[in-house]
Amino acid sequence: MRLPAARQNRPSGISSFPVAESQANAREQALLDKRTRMLKIHQRMGLITAVPLLATVISSAGAGGKSTSTSSRDLHAALGGVTAGLYFTTAYFAIRAPKITGTQTRGPTRVHKALAWIHGPGMILTPILGELAFDEKSKGEKVHGIASAHGPVAIVTAGAFGAALLSVSVKF
Amino acid sequence: MNLRTLALCWFLPLSTFASAADSQWVLQQGTLTYHVSHRLHESEGVSHEVRGKGICHAGQCDFLIAVPVKSFDSGDSNRDLHMLQVTRGAQFPMVTVRTRLPESASTSAAIQADLEIQFAGQTAQYKQVPFQLITQGNQIRITGTVPATLTDFKIDPPSLLTIPVKNEIPVRVDLTWKPQ
Repeated sequence: MRLPAARQNRPSGISSFPVAESQANAREQALLDKRTRMLKIHQRMGLITAVPLLATVISSAGAGGKSTSTSSRDLHAALGGVTAGLYFTTAYFAIRAPKITGTQTRGPTRVHKALAWIHGPGMILTPILGELAFDEKSKGEKVHGIASAHGPVAIVTAGAFGAALLSVSVKF
Repeated sequence: MNLRTLALCWFLPLSTFASAADSQWVLQQGTLTYHVSHRLHESEGVSHEVRGKGICHAGQCDFLIAVPVKSFDSGDSNRDLHMLQVTRGAQFPMVTVRTRLPESASTSAAIQADLEIQFAGQTAQYKQVPFQLITQGNQIRITGTVPATLTDFKIDPPSLLTIPVKNEIPVRVDLTWKPQ
């Protein structure tokens, strides 16, 4: 049961595979390499974004109050701004990663992508509503109208973001 | 080189040799399953698109088994594409396994085979890999596990949340052969 020293008299059975399936494709390999590079950055940036996102949620506890200007509200706004910036950079690398033709999204990635339809609009809305709420507070007004949705929208957005992160990290 | 010429180049040596062979085996059905371990995940990729042929001459049989890298399905399209990338599956689209066994091995209940595996542009040898044989009518079912590792094929371990997967990627083999 030893491997033959010479390759002569060996079967060449892979001839039954379609030629396109068994031939090297340098272009497709380059595309896969680029896709992986971009999604690796997306993954790392997503993890980094989670840090200021969590800090923004925590700092929201001190962002309310009756005074027109507080340092904790400024901190909350600044953290929110950093989160939004990092978030959209993260999203860019996922959106711009090359698509591989003929591939249907299956498994946890499907959940991960579906959740983007929640946290994506949420990440646009939350800072806008936050800005409105900030203005109203600065004027000494009680947060009212659409700006009062800032908190609930932010919670849903942060929740969807966390779920998206977990969907590709933990098997369930 | 057009498709017809290419097909001829592949078929001709096989048919020429086949005429000199004492007997032949053909893979009726086959399943290969790789297992990848990560601190947060255990995952398996399965392929049923295995093809193979065995040609026996003077009491020795040469087997060739081939499977397209992209045919492995782990249930997660992103993982499959990433696997295809790290294993350079577009550049080296086929996994081929070659082995030589004595013709008499078909009557044994267990065999140990030396395997030569070409994958990801690398060739690795596995000595004395144990397999179990079950005879079902005129068919022989061979099962076993190839103790493959990522380093054998110079594959950078993929990582999730910056944690790399384990080096061991055992491949379960389940092949049913029939004489041709």
